[in-house]
Amino acid sequence: MIATNVRRLGLYLMLAFAVVSASIAWWQVLEAPQLATRADNPEVIAARRSLLRGTIFDATGQVLATSQVIDGLSTRTYADPAFTHVIGYSSLRFGSTGIEAAFEDVLVGRTDPNPIRDIVNDVLNRQPEPRDLSLTIDRRLQDFAANELGGDAGAVVALDPISGQILAMVSVPSFDATPISGDPDVAQEPMDALRGNEAEPLLARARQGRYVPGSIMKVFTTAAALDAGVITPDTTFADQPEQETNGFVVDGFPIREHDLGGIAPSLWPLSEALQVSSNIYFAHVGLELGAERFLEYARQFGFCGPMQIGPLDRPLSVAPSYVTAAENGECSAFSGDVELATAAFGQGSVLATPVQMALLAATIAGDGVMPQPYVVRDVRAHTDDGTLSQTVLDEFGSGGTRVISTQAARATRTAMVDAVNGELGRLYAGQADVTLYGIGGQRSAGKTGTAQLGGEQAPHSWFIGFAPAQEGATPQIAVAVLVESGGSGSGRAAPIAGRVMAEYLRLSGG
Amino acid sequence: MRIAWRGAELRLLLPIIVLVPLGFAVTHIALSGMFEPGPMELAIGYVAIIVGAHFLLVAFGHRGDQLLLPAVGAMGAVGIVMLNRLPQDLAGTSALGIELGMAATQLLWFAVGMVAMVAVAVGLRDDGILRHYKYSWAAIGILLLAATVVFGYEVNGARLWIDLGPVSVQPGEILKIVLVIFIAAYLAETRTLLTSARLRIGPISVPPLPYFLPMLALFGIVMLIVVRLNDLGTALLFFGTFLIMLFVATGRRSYVLIGLVLFAAGFYVAYQLFGHVQARVDVWLDPFADPLGAGFQPVRALYAFGRGGVFGEGLGQGLVTLGGNLTIPFVHTDFIFTAVAEELGLLGAFALLGFAAVLVFRGLRIAALARDDFSGLLAVGLTASLGLQTLIIIGGNTKLIPLTGITLPFVSYGGSSILASSIMVGLLLSISHRTAVGADVEPEA
Repeated sequence: MIATNVRRLGLYLMLAFAVVSASIAWWQVLEAPQLATRADNPEVIAARRSLLRGTIFDATGQVLATSQVIDGLSTRTYADPAFTHVIGYSSLRFGSTGIEAAFEDVLVGRTDPNPIRDIVNDVLNRQPEPRDLSLTIDRRLQDFAANELGGDAGAVVALDPISGQILAMVSVPSFDATPISGDPDVAQEPMDALRGNEAEPLLARARQGRYVPGSIMKVFTTAAALDAGVITPDTTFADQPEQETNGFVVDGFPIREHDLGGIAPSLWPLSEALQVSSNIYFAHVGLELGAERFLEYARQFGFCGPMQIGPLDRPLSVAPSYVTAAENGECSAFSGDVELATAAFGQGSVLATPVQMALLAATIAGDGVMPQPYVVRDVRAHTDDGTLSQTVLDEFGSGGTRVISTQAARATRTAMVDAVNGELGRLYAGQADVTLYGIGGQRSAGKTGTAQLGGEQAPHSWFIGFAPAQEGATPQIAVAVLVESGGSGSGRAAPIAGRVMAEYLRLSGG
Repeated sequence: MRIAWRGAELRLLLPIIVLVPLGFAVTHIALSGMFEPGPMELAIGYVAIIVGAHFLLVAFGHRGDQLLLPAVGAMGAVGIVMLNRLPQDLAGTSALGIELGMAATQLLWFAVGMVAMVAVAVGLRDDGILRHYKYSWAAIGILLLAATVVFGYEVNGARLWIDLGPVSVQPGEILKIVLVIFIAAYLAETRTLLTSARLRIGPISVPPLPYFLPMLALFGIVMLIVVRLNDLGTALLFFGTFLIMLFVATGRRSYVLIGLVLFAAGFYVAYQLFGHVQARVDVWLDPFADPLGAGFQPVRALYAFGRGGVFGEGLGQGLVTLGGNLTIPFVHTDFIFTAVAEELGLLGAFALLGFAAVLVFRGLRIAALARDDFSGLLAVGLTASLGLQTLIIIGGNTKLIPLTGITLPFVSYGGSSILASSIMVGLLLSISHRTAVGADVEPEA
């Protein structure tokens, strides 16, 4: 009879039922907490639809982003399109970007900035409490910078060179994020329009745009070579005056000077070479520095890898900048002396973000210490009436990294002050001087860039600098200004930078 | 015919009589927000069908097992409460000018199923018709399959359905039964030979091929066609049922082992050859790799388990919707267990699994007590088929094994499934009845 075998089968089936039971318990009990917090959990997505998000304020308590829940649907309203590429958007259809994404759980209150209270909340299973954020940016300066760029595509990045606080970060063109952050059923059409727009309004140029920097890169070359001891402010190159006219042949490739606008070539030391922006001089400096050290300093200054705008545990990402061809997110080795010599004056394979170039200026302004930039100043308790709460729950700060010696930074700074204010420099970068815009007794330091793109394309117009920069002053603002295909640096970027710096000094009572 | 009062059965049905209307009321309150019982027609209808089946068995003097109907009734109760809770437009019938929602359609099929169950339980006085015409049954099975290949149409990639005007049927469900009948009849005849004849390859004894081949050949054809129809769940179910019956008939673990090795080898080859098999396995191994794309179905189900927790969210209070759509895919068929686990929690899930276990272990008891090999093997086959189907689909829901699209017997929406499962329970009842009657006629000393 088969009864014995049936009993044995019964045991096996019992085992199978036990295993299946265990697999149910695994997900319903053991894994349930992990599942509950995953972002693609439909419950989380559905909850987000009705969750109030905290308000985002500028540095002075002006409302920039605010939420309201109507009929169970949470919609986000943005006050100022100039901030879109900083704050990002929080869309029920397309997810979140920018600060909205980085601070997602804080804004909806899933994580208390105070970890102990977070545990208490978990235990008590409280409803999430939204939190408010305030930024380091003053809306007035942000709007001022955006207006300065006007209809031209480009970016302005300004930061406090000592504290690392971002003071303005503008990407143009921008867009109003409110239509895609409201009812998810009507968000598709405005998003499609943005995606189809050839001006690429969705690109956060300040952080994600990579551009040929041109002559502003000479600030890097100067700082690195001074720090390495390769040059002093008095260094000259004997062949340079003749090469200004006839070209400097490197590996059979003639490096030619840009149009000096009638200035007669002569044996220039560092200051004069930077004032007239001599490509020949800096090609020599780059070759003296050598490929190895050039790359090493580039990495120290933040090139050749990912960069972040803090706070570091909730960063905004910045696209990597490169001084050579990119290779797996790193800088490859220099292919030869031509690439090195041209990189030294910002051509060759160099590609940089406006944030990277602003940090370069800030490092010189900060006596060789590169600040860690950050844009969210603090987390505060949520208020329903749109006023800035006095209850600060979490504050962010930043450190800095010494990149070059104080002496090297000071010498670079002197040359940059000359580049704006010197007899020759005035012709190029004079428009960046803050005295022109009502700030008496202060000086700007800086460097223009006219990035050649090849072909018929108009060059990118660049300026990096800082103010106040005169002997004895502590710089309060460092800027990078980029105008895509804006022509010469002196024509477009330098006056914008001058006005933005002057406006900041005025606003901060300087 | 003598009336046999089935008191235990009736007592076990009492909770169903109370709980199904209660479940409907709770659902209505949760969904409508109004404190009123809501429409009760379907709940009362369900109770009437189950209790009606009980009294029919009583009236016909049926003396078979008294736990099968309560187990079936309990599984069906969970199913009808859940289907009533879901949006009624997920499925339904509109034929002959009548529009029926999902739960109402299911109820109709339950009525048909219970009538079929009772008819088989009391009508099949003698198993000769099953036993002696085994090759006819096999032929019917093959014909059904052939019909599916020729006339069938696809739903969700598997070609399982035949359109018969007002209703669509899944021949695979009926095939399941005739195949079990055939294998039971064949094994009952040859099991002595299969067990005694020794053919060894090294340490492993293999079945003597001359006796084994006819069945293997038929089985191979069936498997090939089923796989060709892209119905992997049914293939797995058939194969598992076959191995279990072979094991019970011969007592040889090595046969099962060989079968499993063959299965693993076949699966490996399929994995290497077919992209869709690879994709399915990859999704199974790590559905969270692409939670909104390929892993969408399993991931959404796992989230539902997580939401349910131990006590569940309560009837009508779970099942998150996004943009008006339920987030559990195929929630009324393949994933109905997941929905039960979400709203009734681990406790509800275990209870449902427990009902299935009762059905399975009573089925095994019927097999063990059966008076002849054919009845015993038939009971084993029917039980194994119902049990494996339950384990395969629940295991697929919980990611224990890759997901395959088969129904949870008596719970999932679907007429063919309910009808086939009911007939299978009817067969188990009839075997059990004959055992009881036989014991009276010729009491064993």
